[in-house]
Amino acid sequence: MAHVVLKDLVKTYGSFKAVNDVSLTVNDGEFVALVGPSGCGKTTTLNLVAGLTSVTSGDIVIGERVVNDLDPKDRDIAMVFQNYALYPQKSVYKNLAFPLQMRRLPRDEIDRKVKEAARVLDMTQLLERKPRELSGGQQQRVALGRALVRDPAVFLMDEPLSNLDAKLRVQMRSEIKRFHQDLKATIIYVTHDQLEAVTMADRMAVMNGGYLQQYDTPAQVFAHPVNMFVAGFIGSPAMSLIPLEASAANGDTVLTSAEGWSLALSPRNAQKVARATTRKVVLGARHSTIRLHKGAVPGSVPAKAYTVEPTGDVTFVQAFLSGAIVNVSVSPTIAVAPDEQIWLEFDQERMHLFDAETEMALKAD
Amino acid sequence: MSTIAETAPRNQARRRMRIDGWRWGGRIFLAFMLLYTALPMIWMLLTSIKSGFAAMQFPPQWWPDQPNLSSYQKLLDPQNSVGQDFLRFFWNSLVVSTATTILSVIVAVPAAYAFSRFTFPGRNFLFFAVLLRNMFPAVIFLVPLFILMRALGLVNTHGSLVLTYLTFGLPLAIWLLKGFYDNIPVQLEQAARIDGATRFQAFILIVMPLSTPGIIATAIYSFIGAWNEYIYAYTFLSKNEQLTLPVGIQRFFSENTTDFPGLMAASFMMSVPVVVLFLVLQRYFVRALTEGAVKH
Repeated sequence: MAHVVLKDLVKTYGSFKAVNDVSLTVNDGEFVALVGPSGCGKTTTLNLVAGLTSVTSGDIVIGERVVNDLDPKDRDIAMVFQNYALYPQKSVYKNLAFPLQMRRLPRDEIDRKVKEAARVLDMTQLLERKPRELSGGQQQRVALGRALVRDPAVFLMDEPLSNLDAKLRVQMRSEIKRFHQDLKATIIYVTHDQLEAVTMADRMAVMNGGYLQQYDTPAQVFAHPVNMFVAGFIGSPAMSLIPLEASAANGDTVLTSAEGWSLALSPRNAQKVARATTRKVVLGARHSTIRLHKGAVPGSVPAKAYTVEPTGDVTFVQAFLSGAIVNVSVSPTIAVAPDEQIWLEFDQERMHLFDAETEMALKAD
Repeated sequence: MSTIAETAPRNQARRRMRIDGWRWGGRIFLAFMLLYTALPMIWMLLTSIKSGFAAMQFPPQWWPDQPNLSSYQKLLDPQNSVGQDFLRFFWNSLVVSTATTILSVIVAVPAAYAFSRFTFPGRNFLFFAVLLRNMFPAVIFLVPLFILMRALGLVNTHGSLVLTYLTFGLPLAIWLLKGFYDNIPVQLEQAARIDGATRFQAFILIVMPLSTPGIIATAIYSFIGAWNEYIYAYTFLSKNEQLTLPVGIQRFFSENTTDFPGLMAASFMMSVPVVVLFLVLQRYFVRALTEGAVKH
């Protein structure tokens, strides 16, 4: 196992910058998720680490070596592909043996390692099958086996679960997490599914437009998103973002809506707003930090229910507020009808404030 | 609700009838095409086992009165001058076609792979330039190529034919094979390279076995093209002992008497290698070798 360092990594295709100055360190034994929407540069970053794509500028360090100019085979990495990329003409056994054969291990050692990997992944009875005779989940397992049979310094995983059905995905998610805990493996895991990143990773790197937006533990990213993109991308349902205007009234800082209502801010939040470059401020709130009232209470603002989605445990209410759609979760015992007038109360301690111009989170200090 | 329940089966029945109509139309069309292609072959076979006199009769003998294999015996008898010629032509055709096939596969495989996998300056231009040769009728190149071959001192050699056939066959072989390589997921090679293979090893160990159907299809295509070619062989070769089958068979026509049974027997035997090639190799066409490689 080894640590991985990306230093000012840049990859351009012609004039298109796929990866922009990405720097991050993956510690030895750490599970890091690269997460972001399609085209954000996460897969390109992974391919750069793998050596499948050449670096435009910057450095990649695996262990103690700068690997920029090394072939993939010399980087001591293993990779699990989104579509598994099993060798269709080879049996499961030969698929697993291939990386060992390429490293010219003695035959009996290959046999021992393949059987060990098959035992770990519970597929000893599948060894003689061809990939086409396996189910999606089994193919995924073989792909994982081919990666771990060799004991590489770093595991690279490119959306390994996105081709599985929902149930299998949850199951394999915990298997990969378990596999990481048992092996203390260094894993770089690419996914577009923020839930996978949040549930599996020690740290997650949120990317957008080729830029690294935020790199921190899932809890930190969730609680303190650095900008509006991260705030909207992480968490499900997404954080509601409401564009408002800040102004001072009677010594208080208030956020005013074009709809006419205004919301007084706590001193700490007022401090944050004071740091904004403009008066346009975006209020961010997660569904669980908003309280829904049937009547006006002090500090609440009027909204109109749009849809009501009962999920059993909680009911999600989507409401129109100041031109934005706001997600609120309420207890299923509270009945809300579409188009009903409701009042929303924001938790001042857990609300997020963003500069509408720079889209960056506003901080008190 | 009741109206929906009533109309649904009727709709289904109508749809089934429509499909059946198309299906039967298709079957009749296929049966007609089968007759269209098979009848001349059958007539060729029947004529080849008739006597020379019976072949010329009118109204024709639909089924030969005295079927015999004497034409085949004559053609395959090395003692007889006709047999000697036929066997030599057959051998010449085999040599030219095999050489063309092997060379075109050797050149087309790396070329097609490069077109499929690498981006390099002028890639698209080159790729279409490759086809340029096939956009003109073959006859246009007859004289220029003859002059070229004469300059190279290749007239009256089989080499001239092999070179010429390559100019026809290679472009299509490259296009055909590129299609096959495009269908092999690039992730397989990437996986192999990460698993410890060099780029070349990934090609040889992973891609080559998967492209076997493509290579076989290409090879058969090249072989048939060379095997059946007439006009260049007729122009470039003049010595009797060098002729290939399509030109050689012509010798059965003569001014006064044409040996139709002999001609048909020779034609039949000429089609045998192609048919055998197809029968032996057809299973490779049918099987999709990359099945199970990647999940779509």
